[in-house]
Amino acid sequence: MKRVLSSITDGRGFDIALVALPLAFLLLLSGLPLLYNVLMSFQEVDMFSLGTLWRPFVGFENYRKLFEQPETLPILGNTAIFVTASIAGQFLIGFGLALFFWTNFPGASWLRGLFLVSWVMPGLVVGAIWNWILSGDFGVLNFLLRESGLISGNIFWRSDPNYSLWAVVIANVWLGTSFNMILLSVGLSAIPGDLYEAAELDGANAWQRFWTITLPMMRSSIGALIALGLIFTLQQFDLFAAITSGGPNNSSNVTQYWAWDMSFRQYDFAKGATISVIMIVFVMLASIVYVRSTRHEVRG
Amino acid sequence: MSDTYREKLMLAIALVLAAIYLFPLYWMYITALKSGSAMFATPPAFWPTDPQWQIYGQVWESRNMGRYIWNSVVIALGAVTVITVLGVGCAYVLARYRNVWVDIGLFLILMLQVLPASLMITPIFVGFSQVGLLEYPRLAVILAIAAKSMPFFVVLVRATFMSVPQELEEAALVDGNSRIGAFFSIVLPLARNGILVSAILIFMQAFGEFVYSKSIIQAIELQPASVGLNSFMGPNTNEWNNIMAYATIYVTPILAIFVLLQRRIVSGLTSGALK
Repeated sequence: MKRVLSSITDGRGFDIALVALPLAFLLLLSGLPLLYNVLMSFQEVDMFSLGTLWRPFVGFENYRKLFEQPETLPILGNTAIFVTASIAGQFLIGFGLALFFWTNFPGASWLRGLFLVSWVMPGLVVGAIWNWILSGDFGVLNFLLRESGLISGNIFWRSDPNYSLWAVVIANVWLGTSFNMILLSVGLSAIPGDLYEAAELDGANAWQRFWTITLPMMRSSIGALIALGLIFTLQQFDLFAAITSGGPNNSSNVTQYWAWDMSFRQYDFAKGATISVIMIVFVMLASIVYVRSTRHEVRG
Repeated sequence: MSDTYREKLMLAIALVLAAIYLFPLYWMYITALKSGSAMFATPPAFWPTDPQWQIYGQVWESRNMGRYIWNSVVIALGAVTVITVLGVGCAYVLARYRNVWVDIGLFLILMLQVLPASLMITPIFVGFSQVGLLEYPRLAVILAIAAKSMPFFVVLVRATFMSVPQELEEAALVDGNSRIGAFFSIVLPLARNGILVSAILIFMQAFGEFVYSKSIIQAIELQPASVGLNSFMGPNTNEWNNIMAYATIYVTPILAIFVLLQRRIVSGLTSGALK
């Protein structure tokens, strides 16, 4: 006993205690629910069996039923569109801004940091603001588009099934662009400047320098960032809750909102768990790509 | 001479870009000050001609915002406390050693970091209801947020500990300090700033958290401000000036903290998130 105690105050036991406690906490509150989720997706869950652990086991019935529903494939398609469009928008605008702020001028880093307010704001507030900006009759975006002659009639961003998903994409691109920009700035500033001097001496123009130095040197940052973007966009829930609630008629519904809607609006916890399991597999794959692409830096 | 001219031009463009990017935020502040009819005017006014300053007090009273904000603060402080107490030690050990076990621990933590809250809420809710945690909804939300955000905190704080020279700790050990003594009197003070910034980031996240609170807390008097904002925004609402006033009161403290600590927050974030 004494040896254990002294090891905790002054030895290996100190390290193990410091790590074991938080890991146990995480496994209890994240790992266990994860497994429980998989278990529930194979069970029949209703309001009466909610309190028990061993419910009737139904095999792959939940999965089969899920894919028989007519809205399943469109929602999966929406998720793919939402993720691709959000990442593309965030990345391209973020990269453009990062390249611009890379040129040094007074106040550059302070102004660049200011962009990050979009990222620290509560998602629901961002959603509320964009909900109002995108409003059909009185939204300021429609006004600006009309004035600049891009559209002739108002676009009903939130209630037109053709646009509702894009309404959330616009808000999400705004929200995530700053984060992309900041991380890309870090990658850019890590490129050694003498590479550019050498290329300039060899007569490479700005365009050639970008393609032959900047992009190849940024490859690992870009890979990590895109995997991270995938993880973040699949976590985006608040904007859907605040702007379209997945509607109209599921036209802007995505799996992460749908899973919640299943469980907490339609009280079909088994289906909610089933959708969760499918999506978590996707997220896990993305995070393996992310962890691998940052591994050499992790070891730093 | 041409150099300073170029710099001024770049600064001007940068200011324009920032203005465009931050326009939604400006629009929130402006809309809150508009009267009911000015809000729906075409063309919309980009500068409030008749600012309605009393709207903040009205919204604060009518929506009972004091209670909502208080709940948000309780939940955020609770989550930050749990995360800091548990996470700092974990980050320290993961920064101090480099072996297979540390790699496995890091991998586990990174994997748990990416689980979307809206997907995890189903098993968490059912599990919590079975062990009776839903009787204490705010505590349940605190625990759920802590589990969700702790990995991010550990990654950020680990980067801070990596920058603390290990020789200092070894010197303290040679001088007769115990491991605990060296940890509390040498390593922690040196990493204090990084820990503080990470804790503030976590606080800001937890202050705006929505999914867990919305799903777990049914009693209106225990709900945080994000859920209050959500129930304020019905599907066919037209009280946009009031909603924007609510949003203004809600986010202005966060924005103030962010602008004040901007440099530290950005550098803390960039050192941890990608490395």
